[in-house]
Amino acid sequence: MRIAIAEDAALFRAGLVRLLEDDGHQVCAEVADGEALLAAVASQRPDVVVADIRMPPTFTDEGLRAALELRRTHPGTAVLVLSQYIETRYATQLLHGSPAGVGYLLKDRVADVAEFTDAVGRVAAGGTALDREVVSQLFAASRHAGDLDPLTPRERDVLALMAEGRSNAGVASALVLTLGTVEKHVASIFGKLGLPACQTHNRRVLAVLRYLGP
Amino acid sequence: MPKLPFTGRARRDIAFCVLTLPLILPGPVVGFAVTIGLAQAVGPPWVAGGNPSWLAMLTAVAVAVLTAALMVATGAARALAAATRRAAGRLLGEHLPPPPPRHARLGDGPGWRAMAYLMLKLPVGLAECYAVGIFWVAGLVNLTYPFWWLSFRNHSPGAQLNPVPVITPFNWSGTGGHFRVTTFPGTFAAFGAGVGMLLAAPWVTRAVVAADRWLVRGLLGPGRTALRLQDLEQTRALAVDDAAARLRRLERDLHDGAQIRLATLAMNLGMARKKLGDEGTVPDLAAARELVGAAHGNAKDALVELRELARGIHPPVLDNGLTDALASLAATSAIPAELAVTVPVRPTPAIETIAYFCAAELLANAAKHSQATTIKILITERAGLLALRITDDGRGGADPSRGSGLSGLAQRVAVVDGRLDIASPPGGPTRITVELPLRAGGR
Repeated sequence: MRIAIAEDAALFRAGLVRLLEDDGHQVCAEVADGEALLAAVASQRPDVVVADIRMPPTFTDEGLRAALELRRTHPGTAVLVLSQYIETRYATQLLHGSPAGVGYLLKDRVADVAEFTDAVGRVAAGGTALDREVVSQLFAASRHAGDLDPLTPRERDVLALMAEGRSNAGVASALVLTLGTVEKHVASIFGKLGLPACQTHNRRVLAVLRYLGP
Repeated sequence: MPKLPFTGRARRDIAFCVLTLPLILPGPVVGFAVTIGLAQAVGPPWVAGGNPSWLAMLTAVAVAVLTAALMVATGAARALAAATRRAAGRLLGEHLPPPPPRHARLGDGPGWRAMAYLMLKLPVGLAECYAVGIFWVAGLVNLTYPFWWLSFRNHSPGAQLNPVPVITPFNWSGTGGHFRVTTFPGTFAAFGAGVGMLLAAPWVTRAVVAADRWLVRGLLGPGRTALRLQDLEQTRALAVDDAAARLRRLERDLHDGAQIRLATLAMNLGMARKKLGDEGTVPDLAAARELVGAAHGNAKDALVELRELARGIHPPVLDNGLTDALASLAATSAIPAELAVTVPVRPTPAIETIAYFCAAELLANAAKHSQATTIKILITERAGLLALRITDDGRGGADPSRGSGLSGLAQRVAVVDGRLDIASPPGGPTRITVELPLRAGGR
């Protein structure tokens, strides 16, 4: 995959480049602010963009704004946003419309290399990668919090992983379950919450997030 | 040294006296006088033995008090005070901020103080009349005696003429005294008196205007409580802003420093772990070694950053007292620093912290801008005040308006009613004194 990286901390950026190149990807652009990212995407046409939220010049949310702009102008380019903090509002903005090809992770997640590269791959393939911090905040703030009571603890785990954007296979490997068990859990969850059973992965994530959304 | 009478300042003093002249008859006095006048006209029981009776006096006093209350309640007293304040600002250079707006009708402190001024203006205003009317006007009139004597009294010799009285400060009615002019040469005595009066006039006027100015300042300004309140509101706002800015800076420093280093450290360890493989032989030992080395470096850097950040928040040595903290500060100063401390009473921790950070900032400033070769840090305690004086032999020219951090220091010091004094002539030396109370909020 061809990847563009936007991160103002040189040390961390160099680490990211190395990590992704080690994983067999090509880093086609390394930039340090939102404007440069937009320009790089326009010229390099990467498959995935990995962007820090807080960058110069204002050190607030230029990475996020650049990501939203890219979602509008380059719908084919997947965007994975990294940050040292999780703001549920940012997640809502990113997922607005469709969760296809979007990710929002804490920078800490980079430490689990396999999981991180898996998230990059998932986003690039048009999936979703939502940090478990976002999901747990959504769980805590959900207006349906009471409705989650009938779920068994195991089903809650499965729901959280689904909300993170994982496929049934991903959920199975994360929880060390068989695919069949996961499928049974998923069906049970959808039944208990009264959600229509969706076939495509993205629609499923969307349904879960809509359900959890504030 | 006496100046010529008609300086700009003398003219403005006269103008002030004349313009504020109408104020010498304030409402209560007029009310009192009118009541007594009416009482006299009506007769008994308002008059007893030709004088106003007790009843009339009491009623007059009541009318006076009522008038005063009415002037305060309607805001008339404030309006007159505002006009006086404007005149004082324009003519005397006595620029006073107006008192805070009115909250209560009768409980209006500034309104009553304005009323008090209007009452006290009566004697002071009369003195101003005396200064302007006798010294200036009569003085000028006296100068003209020889001229109009020649014009109008040019009678044939032997004609009997009435003596002409001369007005002097000691005989201001011009009637009873002995200073009379009967001959033409005598008019020169009047002329001389006029010259003397005019020479004295500016000083006399200035003296009475000074008394008026003192009253204006004391009674028509915002008042000490209001000024203090204003000062407290201002320093509180600064303190709140400063605290917020410091927290923001702290977050920034953590975010851009230690947090990034730790995230990179975790990433390097994650990659190293992958290189080491899950079990058995290591697929890529060299890369794993290098990554662990990098992670080790990240960890050490993060430690340094965190330590510096922590020290910036509160230097631990400060817990041992200001002396130790400043000694370690002086020891690490870029410019050789000499330290002398004589503080018998230990200030509160908050004051010690402020003093320490002032010293740190001033030393850093000196290192950056002064080109000095030595610095002296002197700490003394006098009359409940801690004085921190930092002197360098550099090139001077430190200016708080040029944003060298000095204005920020002054603000921080003001929060605890401290003071920052800068003496830094171009060419040096620079001497900056910070005065702090021994305890914050002890006033």
